[in-house]
Amino acid sequence: MIESLVAKFLVQNVEQYFVLAFVLLGIGLFGMMVRKNLITILMSLELALNSVNIAFVGIDKMNSLIDGQIFALFTIALAAAEAAVGLGIIISLFRLRKAENVNEIIDLKG
Amino acid sequence: MPTLILLFPLLSFITIGLFGRRLGDFTSGLINAVAGILSFIAALITMLNLKAPEDIILYKFLPVSHTSIDIGIYVDRLSISTTLTVTFVASVIFVYAIGYMRYLFGNWTFKFFAYFSLFLFSMLLILLGDSLILMFFGWEGVGLASYLLIGYFHEEKFATKASLEAFVMNRIGDWSFILGIIYTFWLFGTLSLPKLFENASYIPGITLATLLLFGGAVGKSGQLPLHTWLPNAMAGPTPVSALLHAATMVAAGVYMVARLYPLFSLSHTTLSYITITGVITMVFAALVATVHDDIKKIIAFSTMSQLAIMFTALGMGFPTAAMFHLTTHAFFKALLFLAAGAVITGLHHHTQNIFEMGGLKKYMPITFGAFMIGALALSGFPPFAGYFSKDAIVSSIMDKSSLVATMILFTSMLTAYYITREAFVVFLGQGHYHEEPHEVESIMTLPMLILSFLSLVGGFLLWSYFTYMNSPIEPPSSFIIHSIYGIIVAVVGISLSYLLYVKKIIDPNTLYELFKPIHSFVKSQFYTEYIYHNIFAKGYLAISRLVYKIVDRILIDGFVNGVASATSNYGKPVSKLQNGKLNYYALYMLYGVVCVFLLLILVIFEGGIPNG
Repeated sequence: MIESLVAKFLVQNVEQYFVLAFVLLGIGLFGMMVRKNLITILMSLELALNSVNIAFVGIDKMNSLIDGQIFALFTIALAAAEAAVGLGIIISLFRLRKAENVNEIIDLKG
Repeated sequence: MPTLILLFPLLSFITIGLFGRRLGDFTSGLINAVAGILSFIAALITMLNLKAPEDIILYKFLPVSHTSIDIGIYVDRLSISTTLTVTFVASVIFVYAIGYMRYLFGNWTFKFFAYFSLFLFSMLLILLGDSLILMFFGWEGVGLASYLLIGYFHEEKFATKASLEAFVMNRIGDWSFILGIIYTFWLFGTLSLPKLFENASYIPGITLATLLLFGGAVGKSGQLPLHTWLPNAMAGPTPVSALLHAATMVAAGVYMVARLYPLFSLSHTTLSYITITGVITMVFAALVATVHDDIKKIIAFSTMSQLAIMFTALGMGFPTAAMFHLTTHAFFKALLFLAAGAVITGLHHHTQNIFEMGGLKKYMPITFGAFMIGALALSGFPPFAGYFSKDAIVSSIMDKSSLVATMILFTSMLTAYYITREAFVVFLGQGHYHEEPHEVESIMTLPMLILSFLSLVGGFLLWSYFTYMNSPIEPPSSFIIHSIYGIIVAVVGISLSYLLYVKKIIDPNTLYELFKPIHSFVKSQFYTEYIYHNIFAKGYLAISRLVYKIVDRILIDGFVNGVASATSNYGKPVSKLQNGKLNYYALYMLYGVVCVFLLLILVIFEGGIPNG
């Protein structure tokens, strides 16, 4: 019952997908800009990435296609790999520098 | 056969230069001397076989439009007789050099002999070259060899300075010489000597061309105003001085003018310039020689003075007399230098100041005899060689201009005075030595004896030389009558120095105290060296510094440094953006993405993207 309601709502209001996507992207970007902890930044990055997935799916729903969903699946797979690599880098950086605050890792300063 | 004259010294130069270290110093000296002697023999055979002037083309070089500049040898009576003298005197000096340089054997002395061969080769190129361009090659070769030889003691500061000065002064002359060559080519369209002699006729502009060529002779022969290198060239070993002053280097200038006399005689202006230069230089140099106290420098100034007499003779129109004086001068000047070198060797290279010597007659009788013969020949005392050659000039000029002849006689009196003064101070009187002086070995005395003999009898060749050159000369009887003035001034000069330095009727020291300002004025070569140093050298430096400060520091450095500092000044604020903080980078990326999207939206709204 409720599921069909939600589905109906979503089909009728496709723009809601984009609202959600933009909100998530905004939260992700904001998090990337203000948070100092590397892991939090990575999490914000994942958030921004997933907002794109939602946008893909939304466009699919709007145009009754499936290409966007396939892309979304690819993105999820890539995001998993990226998260693994990113975490690996963060952990080895932490082992090396004993620091997780990005303000302490500014060797490339001009 | 004429090619062989040139070939021997060249081969010797190459052999010694490449293998000298293996051959050893003595062998190198021997090869050098043998090459000189073989060259002399080749010259002698050429002279005996010579019928008419010959132009032997060896190689076609530099084809220029419808003519070409060739490398070849031009043999005529003038060139072959001078070659004979030069190779002879050079060979004698080469033999002497083996003895003189013995105290330096083991210190790469083979280099010295290699330079000697190069020197002779270059000189022979000047003498035998059939074009002005080849003459110029020799001219530069002589300059190079003299630079290397004057600066032979290159561990001494003064030697390197002297060699540099010789090079620079010669360069000024060479600059004038090459301009003269270019101008001659422009006027006549050829540089080949036989063709030049054929085409020699008055062309407007020949005055400038010959004056420029004469400029080269001024530099090479150490005439005023390019004279300062000549006395300073005494920094080299004594055989170098002998070679430089007798046979090779300085004779080149006189020979060049005599060689190109068909051109020079076309311009009266040039001839009078030559005369004026000659007259001023001969008196100048003779005066300076009277006050110097270095055993070699006095002879050096006398060379300058004698060359000036030759130039005067050339300027007055008597090239044969000038060339004969060059020949006899080569004999007795080489002799004087060899004797001076023997004195220096005999005194163990301790001093060159004549007032620290004295009484050498009893230690070195052969050297004394040789030096006296050389001195008397230079003074023009009969029957020595100088008497004939100089009085041939004086008696020729007497009819044309008595003023110039008087100046030559005055110079001769000074010459007789200063050279016998040197002889008396060095060989007579008493000397005190820490180390006993000794007579030099026979390898050094033999060359002196040969040259003494020639200085004694060489003058009698006067008449045969003039006949050989097809030049008129008065018979012996009237010659002796004409030369009476020459004998008088020689006697006056010699007796003056005899009274002053042997009899000491007036103590030379009181005279020195009396004339001290004049003495130092003359000794400094009338401040010419001082003036050159302060005006040209320091002026050049001042201008260079000014240019450095304005052009280099302000303009060029200003531009370059300005570009650098502008880049760094504008880069600094920008580099603040790269602060290393990850958050800011993310922000910049956002800005970038926003900008790109704005741009895209703008383009879409403008309708820039076509449908599809």
